[in-house]
Amino acid sequence: MAPTVDYHCPCLSQSTIPPPPHLPSSSHSFHPLHTLFFCEECDAVRCNRCVSVEVSGYYCPNCLFEVPSASVRAEKNRCARNCFMCPNCRNTLSVVPSDPPDLGDGRLAIPISAIGEPPFFLYCNHCRWDSAEVGITFEKPTGLAAQLQKFEDSAPDSLEFERLKEHFEPVIRASSLSSSTANAPAAHPSSAAHSHRVRTNSITAAASAALARDIPGVSKHNPLARSGRGGGSGRDKTTNKDELPEYRSRVDITAASARGTGGGEADADYMRHLEDVSEVANLEQRWINSWATSLQTADLKPLRIPLHSKRSKRCPACAHILIKPEQKAQSVRYKIKLVAANYLPAITAALPHQQEAANAESAKRTLSKSTAAAADDDRGAAGGIHAGKTYPFHLALTNPLYDPIQVRLTVQRVHAPAAPSSGRASPEKARRPPFAVSLPSSSFPIAAFAEAWEYDLDDEDDLDEMFGLDDDDFGVAGRVPGRESREAGRGKLKVVGVLEKKANVTVVGGEVVIGKEARGNVKFNMLVSYTYRSDDPAPSETDGDGPTSKAAAVGKPPETKTFAFYTVVDLGPIIPREEPRSVDPDF
Amino acid sequence: MDPPIYYSKAEYIETDTGNKVSRRATIAGPQNIILGGKTIISNGAIIRGDLRRTGAGHAVVISLGRYCVVGEGCVMRPPYKTYRGNFNYYPMKIGDHVHIGANTVVEAATIGSHVEIGKNCVIGKFTIIKDCARVADGTIVPPNTVIPALALFAGSPGRFVEDLPESTQEIVEAQTKRYYTRFQPAP
Repeated sequence: MAPTVDYHCPCLSQSTIPPPPHLPSSSHSFHPLHTLFFCEECDAVRCNRCVSVEVSGYYCPNCLFEVPSASVRAEKNRCARNCFMCPNCRNTLSVVPSDPPDLGDGRLAIPISAIGEPPFFLYCNHCRWDSAEVGITFEKPTGLAAQLQKFEDSAPDSLEFERLKEHFEPVIRASSLSSSTANAPAAHPSSAAHSHRVRTNSITAAASAALARDIPGVSKHNPLARSGRGGGSGRDKTTNKDELPEYRSRVDITAASARGTGGGEADADYMRHLEDVSEVANLEQRWINSWATSLQTADLKPLRIPLHSKRSKRCPACAHILIKPEQKAQSVRYKIKLVAANYLPAITAALPHQQEAANAESAKRTLSKSTAAAADDDRGAAGGIHAGKTYPFHLALTNPLYDPIQVRLTVQRVHAPAAPSSGRASPEKARRPPFAVSLPSSSFPIAAFAEAWEYDLDDEDDLDEMFGLDDDDFGVAGRVPGRESREAGRGKLKVVGVLEKKANVTVVGGEVVIGKEARGNVKFNMLVSYTYRSDDPAPSETDGDGPTSKAAAVGKPPETKTFAFYTVVDLGPIIPREEPRSVDPDF
Repeated sequence: MDPPIYYSKAEYIETDTGNKVSRRATIAGPQNIILGGKTIISNGAIIRGDLRRTGAGHAVVISLGRYCVVGEGCVMRPPYKTYRGNFNYYPMKIGDHVHIGANTVVEAATIGSHVEIGKNCVIGKFTIIKDCARVADGTIVPPNTVIPALALFAGSPGRFVEDLPESTQEIVEAQTKRYYTRFQPAP
């Protein structure tokens, strides 16, 4: 597996220090860079877990019709045109005509109309289910939803739902009234100008009041208490809302099974005489229904396709818009798109010895130098990370900004005393990470991003000269003469430090020493702080040495800013000592 | 940091616009096929430009945009149907930055830009794939399916799995461009 680098999102947490990487929960707060957003206002990274989401438009994923939000509710969040899903396999159904009438002369009849012969039915291209099986046919191939509407409206579940709505209507109206008066005590109770928000809140309130009455121990939902103002004003009204008239269902459930709605003796009887298992609809086919339905496959109805939505996203702290899609449903452009990839340097990690192993395998490569070929083979066969050894690794940082930046990398010590979890410090110390990571300690520059730079093909073979230059088991000195001379000029045998600068990419080397008894993944948190100067195009060589926090930026000239963020670098699993050393090269 | 992908120079023909077409690919009816430039047709791919609409005149059967890759062993075949009693093939249009994995069979009507299709997929007849969508490896997309923009489809039959991140377009564009630069003749 290739090494990965994920970025930390604090998700509005007080401490910006991420959880230790060896905890399984740490993966929850780290995300790939391209899924993150960046709020310019708060100067902070935001992720999909913490942004607030608003629906900006609905569309049908099949016919791509943009449904106005007014009709979404009336159509129960489903497409009201000709889109249906197969109840069997969830594929989209298509309308097909019946076979043309047989003329009896053995030839195919020439179709008279373009649309074909009625009756029409819905057909699944994937599992060959068709609606004629369950007795649904259509007179004309258009407006199927309208033709089906009367069946759907007379279905027991939708009738029951309508009845429930009717039953709760007065309660909802009353509670929305009371909550609106509670929210604004000055307003006259009869003023019926409730906002949509208030009404939905009152539905929640009514539901929770009913729940609190029936189940002891469930506290009542109180929006006022939550918002922290006006504790007592709404109390009396909430108790009044509890007094609901008893609800009587349309059909008695004990009698319902006899009428083919599922459950009870009828099902048991049906199962007893079952001959083919496919006659019973499986759980997946039945379970999205809101109502207990018949067990039989023959009773499955075509499903309307649920709508999808386009969403805009806001920063949870300052409510500034981070993502605002264009109105058109199938457009992939955004009016506002503040993604972290445009602000933070992209980091990719690589293990040179792993790449070398991969390259050695491909017959087209003529990489291995004659010297130390045996050593190369040995390492190539390994590919993995073995306990008790030392490995170099590379981090390539790409600058997305139009200004050069100074970057500084620091490995987070898991058992650092500065960590807020000082109470747990002793157990942390007991199980220190079984490896030690060294990174360049000074800051290094990355050139600005230029739109027009071209990928330089000639630099490709630089890769091989950066391969594992330092390893305890293999004599370093023995490898030097085999290298080209130009490498010697470039700070020879530097493992930790800046290895390469090319356009807006800087490759730095690090080294990891694996403990003898190590197991698990080589995974560590890394603090990346970078300083950029927005006005001056020249690289700022002087700063970047200060403390790596946002507070440090205060003391500096206004045009220089420092931003720090955490990442987790996962170099892959450690192969423990006990296992045989030569593993399968096909990792 | 990605190592280059080498191919033997004798195996590929490179056009003026940077298209790289394998000599071991089967290109039927090349006069009906348009390649946008910097597009790679891998070994063993089959592109059926000969299955054209009936009728006289010049007809574009399959058009591919820029920075596309047709993987090894792919079959690209225009969709067909019988309409009003006439059997006919219909053109297939594919946008820019579209990667199609190895051994996938494509009979789509339209594929947008920045679309990734995995290996060993079947893209059924008259499928419409919108921009920035992704089809996972081994997906069977039944005929007439519509895959909306920024959707990940997987399974058999192919179903919606999740929305892709907002930056998909940039990621795919960078990826396809990088792939083209990595794909170079063996030294």
